[in-house]
Amino acid sequence: MENLKFEATKYTPEINLDATGTISLVGKSYPENTFEFYAPVMEWMEKYFETSPADTTVVNMEIIYFNSSSSKLFFDFFDLLEENSSDNKVEINWIYDEENESAEEAGEDFIEDFEDLNIKLVTK
Amino acid sequence: MEAHENKLIAEIETLQNNFTQTTDKLIKDVKRQDKIMTRSDKRQQKEYDELMALKIEIEETQREVVFTMGAIGESRSKETGNHVKRVAEYTYLFAKHYGLPEKECEMLKQASPMHDIGKVAIPDAVLNKPGRFNDEERAIMDTHAQLGYDMLKSSNRSLIKMASIVAYEHHEKWNGTGYPNQTAGEDIHIYGRITALADVFDALGSARVYKQAWDDEKIFKMFKEERGEHFDPKLMDIFFDNLDEFLHIRDTMKDVVQD
Repeated sequence: MENLKFEATKYTPEINLDATGTISLVGKSYPENTFEFYAPVMEWMEKYFETSPADTTVVNMEIIYFNSSSSKLFFDFFDLLEENSSDNKVEINWIYDEENESAEEAGEDFIEDFEDLNIKLVTK
Repeated sequence: MEAHENKLIAEIETLQNNFTQTTDKLIKDVKRQDKIMTRSDKRQQKEYDELMALKIEIEETQREVVFTMGAIGESRSKETGNHVKRVAEYTYLFAKHYGLPEKECEMLKQASPMHDIGKVAIPDAVLNKPGRFNDEERAIMDTHAQLGYDMLKSSNRSLIKMASIVAYEHHEKWNGTGYPNQTAGEDIHIYGRITALADVFDALGSARVYKQAWDDEKIFKMFKEERGEHFDPKLMDIFFDNLDEFLHIRDTMKDVVQD
């Protein structure tokens, strides 16, 4: 499976989807068309788990600013990860600056909502 | 018959199961949406508060810069003490009675103290010369209006733009005999006309090392003579119609007398 990479823009994060099992989203996420923007990412993830997932999939998310539709999308994204976490080992690192209260609270929300997922809060 | 019933029950049970799963999913989703909204509202509130705090910070910084520049201008002129502060208050009062919008009055109050900023570029030998200027020195002194304008004119900040007008036109006279451009009447910007009168009123009424303060009778006589000559007649009328208010400012912001 081919890797997929998106460069960061003013409104969207840098995204690296590496088929060897490392997924990373770094930057800001407040586009107008959030679901449209992330559609290829979600497709890639689904295909990845269907075809050739690595032994351990590591997801590093470092989102310093995000709008509410991005939080909704991250919930969907974690849903997808949770659905696949019984057959695959998935590790998620939610990385944030300790002064970034919004990011911290979002991380706590994800942990609360996804009991079956291994989500670690990592402060910078 | 029994078998048929059982089958139906099984179908209903499957339906019930699906329904429960779907409603569970929906409830979970609605809860998530609520959570997202709450978080988002909280964040929006914080962001707007921060934005407003920044706006105030910018305005205060601008005010401080403008005031400091005014003080620098003052330190280079022979005016002292509370001169620029009183001029600021007078210009506000003139602007208000002239009918300018409150925001503009407030801005003029902040911008008018910069009227002499051009004096920072006047050589010390001329600026600090004791006694009267000769023609050549007077000509150099008079360039402070143009110099002040040139320093401030390229700014895009509304307050600095306003200050550039004040610096440029505060020595123009209503009858067209002022400087630097001999502009006359309403061709002189209202900010310039107002600051001219406020500046002269304060300078005449203040004692300096080189002169005594004029008494009010002498000032008022001169003002009546200069109505429509040096000064905008409308502003002159505003001055006399609201004399108490102007004198109140003068009294409450007196210079501290130093021995």
